[in-house]
Amino acid sequence: MEQILCELRGVSHDFSLPNGKVLRVLNDINLAIYPREVVALLGPSGCGKSTILRILAGLQKPAAGAVFHHDRPLSGLNPSTAIVFQSFALFPWMSVAENIRVVMRAAHVPEPEARKRAAKVISLVGLEGFESASPRELSGGMKQRVGIARALSMEPEVLFMDEPFSHVDALTAESLRAELLDIWASLDKNPSSILLVSHDTKEVAYMADRIVVLSAQPGTVRAVVKNSLPRPRDYRSREFHALVDYLHEIIAGHEMPDIPEAPAGIAAAIPMPEPLPRASPGEIVGLLEYLDARGGSENVFRLAADTNRQYGRVITVAKAAEMLDLVDTPKQAVVLTPEGRRLVKAPPQERQDLWKSAILKLRLFHEAYEGLRASPEKALRSQDIMETIVLRMPYENPDRIFDTFVQWSRYGNLFNYREEEGVFSLIEAQETPVA
Amino acid sequence: MAETMMLRARRAWGGAAIFFQWSRRLRAADFLVLLGLAGLLAALFQFARHMNAPVRPAAAIDLSAAAIPAYALLSLLRGLIAFAISLGFAVVYGYWAAKDARAERVLIPLLDILQSVPVLGFMPGLLLVFLALFPSSNAGLELASIVMIFTAQAWNMAFSFYQSLKSLKPDLVEAASVFSFNSWERFRCLELPSAAIGLVWNGMISMAGGWFFLMISESFVLGRRDFSLPGLGSYMSRAAADGNARAMALAIAAMMLMIVLLDQVLWRPLAVWSQKFRLDESGSEDAGSSWFLGVVRRARVYALAALLIRKIANRHPETGTGERKTGHEKERAPAFPVSRFPSSQAFARLLPVVSGAALLLLAAAAGLGAVRVLYAWRALSPERWLSIGGAGAATLARVLVSTALGTLWALPAGLAIGLSPRLWTALGPAIQMLASFPAPMLFPAAIAAMRAAGVPLSAGSIVLMLLGTQWYILFNVVAGAAAIPADLLEASRSYGLKGWERFKNVLLPAVFPYLVTGWVTAAGGAWNASIVSEFVTFKSQVFSTWGLGSLISEAAERSDIPTLTAAVVVMSAIVMVFNRFVWRRLYAVAREGLWMTA
Repeated sequence: MEQILCELRGVSHDFSLPNGKVLRVLNDINLAIYPREVVALLGPSGCGKSTILRILAGLQKPAAGAVFHHDRPLSGLNPSTAIVFQSFALFPWMSVAENIRVVMRAAHVPEPEARKRAAKVISLVGLEGFESASPRELSGGMKQRVGIARALSMEPEVLFMDEPFSHVDALTAESLRAELLDIWASLDKNPSSILLVSHDTKEVAYMADRIVVLSAQPGTVRAVVKNSLPRPRDYRSREFHALVDYLHEIIAGHEMPDIPEAPAGIAAAIPMPEPLPRASPGEIVGLLEYLDARGGSENVFRLAADTNRQYGRVITVAKAAEMLDLVDTPKQAVVLTPEGRRLVKAPPQERQDLWKSAILKLRLFHEAYEGLRASPEKALRSQDIMETIVLRMPYENPDRIFDTFVQWSRYGNLFNYREEEGVFSLIEAQETPVA
Repeated sequence: MAETMMLRARRAWGGAAIFFQWSRRLRAADFLVLLGLAGLLAALFQFARHMNAPVRPAAAIDLSAAAIPAYALLSLLRGLIAFAISLGFAVVYGYWAAKDARAERVLIPLLDILQSVPVLGFMPGLLLVFLALFPSSNAGLELASIVMIFTAQAWNMAFSFYQSLKSLKPDLVEAASVFSFNSWERFRCLELPSAAIGLVWNGMISMAGGWFFLMISESFVLGRRDFSLPGLGSYMSRAAADGNARAMALAIAAMMLMIVLLDQVLWRPLAVWSQKFRLDESGSEDAGSSWFLGVVRRARVYALAALLIRKIANRHPETGTGERKTGHEKERAPAFPVSRFPSSQAFARLLPVVSGAALLLLAAAAGLGAVRVLYAWRALSPERWLSIGGAGAATLARVLVSTALGTLWALPAGLAIGLSPRLWTALGPAIQMLASFPAPMLFPAAIAAMRAAGVPLSAGSIVLMLLGTQWYILFNVVAGAAAIPADLLEASRSYGLKGWERFKNVLLPAVFPYLVTGWVTAAGGAWNASIVSEFVTFKSQVFSTWGLGSLISEAAERSDIPTLTAAVVVMSAIVMVFNRFVWRRLYAVAREGLWMTA
């Protein structure tokens, strides 16, 4: 077997939340990078794929597990990597050339050699003539060329790319992907391999030899897909479409599982309230409108492409809608339910009532509503709600759930909430205008 | 051997030839820059001679007009040296506080305290130390004066640097880590550039703060001993004491000229240049312009100097010469000097040790000082404490009234100026000059006017405070008004909101956070200014009114250390308590956006 360049073995990682809670972001990740391959980490945002990259680079220490570099435990920075950042991370006060030179100086590359390398990488990425330009003067695509040149100048064994093209316009991104692969193929030594972090299925299908599909909360390896389509790849070929579809199926199968309907009575017996997906009522109703306008059903990835959203985002919204029984998600499709259709067709006042009854089916809203009605002063403090969230959903970010809770109940006109005092109160029946 | 000699000679000659080629093409700009440099060198030389001269605590001040340029130069040098020290201090202090969490917990509150201590609070201690260090030359007195100016400059710069370090762009920090910058490269390529704009702006404010106390920094009385250093501040003090109106006018004109000059030659160019350190990566905003920066950039001496510096800097560390071996660069494989600066990890290990030791030293010094002060306080009776507290209340009332009065005119004026870019371009530069003019220089004239009008100093000192601090309110309101979103203004116009309704519902809520910032700085400035506005010397007569400021000034004159320290501590305490319970709450109100949503 070929020598492994770097490797994660059984790596898990946690983040501490501001309230002192610990959130598991990565769980038991195993990943090895071999010479001469492009590996992609694919997953929705929040699945910890950037964290994996940072742990491999030695920027972060994992909570558990081990990091290896050429079969030896890694301590400190990984010496044979360089990162291309999503936000470019160029020093705005240095020219293009200086941005490249400074990292070689930091790596003690001898001056003449540095000059040679700088000239080479600048010509490789097509930045000739821009050497003395300031990053401020460059477009996103040009900035990322500098980012790539800077990383290449280190001649890293593995080139790490963290969503490198997500801040670059779509057309430029397409040409940069192709150019990058050309550069990689043309260099006889380093970078030997590329580790690409992405949320874009087409991007990874185009670039990677091996695609590691991750699922979120906590991030785990869902599947590893080998991609042996011949290069240069064609976005329009049938095989390419098939691969993208296959990736979609893996993601949808995990992110929107088709759980068999529970027999009546069982669901109510589960004492845990449901964590609320971070989706606003506007987004959820928007999704319903979108589906309604397309005959009530659409593929989730198609939906993401149509609305120019990451599919992770769309899946979150779909999950929220599904939780409220407004849509159903068989396989990759999102389908309007009768309740969903009724809500979309209803006039504003009725829509609000339907929304209200939908959220009251959720335990968190139900409990809060009952608690409020039972309280002698007909009021609840935000701390009470917060406490419930923290106690009953210890693995979630309570502030986010609270925000969603407030948004959803406001949309359904469930409570009055005065943010300054942090008090929820009942809405008096008289307040609703009588037609 | 001979060959290398020849080579060297040729190289030297080559250098000279290059210089001549350059010099033939020197421009007017070069002569301007060279002239300035020569002037500065001459002034430094004179300053050094003065430093080494036998000690003369009370220099005789020559009130003739011809003496002014030399005095102005000396004051300028003091201000600049103090500024250089402040800059160094700010960088070290800010770096220390930002890098070590333990030190941060001590240093940042300490900065708050230091900021609230008036210059005279430092004066006796500084004099004691520096006169003991240099008993027989003027250096001790000079250094004491410079450090007094420093105490009016340093703190906000240190805080600015600290804040910049705490809010570095995370992706740049990560890039510095990935590309294994050592601590020096981090500092030079990331931390210092990120802090540059903040340092320049705060430097401008600091310099004005230093000028504000120029008069007491150059001439002061400690226990019946008069100290006075040749300079513009002393000149003004002398002129005021003599009631010499012509000399006073001359000093004011000279000061104004100095401020305009500094603005044109130092601050404006720095402000324009520092725009390159903006962090937003989007297009080039209007960075303003500076004729002087243009001159410097055009000047060839500058390019030549840069060339020389680069040559010196590139000297090979092993051979110590600038020789560049051609042909066999490859042999000296790691020719790049192995860094003498610790890597980030090594630095991280080293820092806590150094920082801990420094903290201990600081704590020991503070402890010692506290013991001595407490010991001195035995002399104070409870009644004395009560009267100090009462004086504090009187000054607090003045500070608040002066802030309110300042708001009364600065709020409408600031709104008018901030909402009209035309008004700002017309008035802005003049207002900026006025604001950086040290108000105490106007006090004698103001006192004369108030005496003629029959206003007692107990009320008049409020006006004196106002002279110095109203600008903070004005500038902040202007900034706030300029930042009101255009669509908000358009909306209010289209819905016909006018006059009071517009002010109450749109303008005031929008500028309120800025107004609070203005209040905090104005009130802080007013506290510090109380030592000069409650105690004024004019025509050999001392005018003073009951208050903490006059108490401090009198105690310093009488060298009454127990009262002085007690009054300074009480002042700091009031300022801190007020910050905590009033200003911070107002900030919270402003931040909550209650006003914006009301």
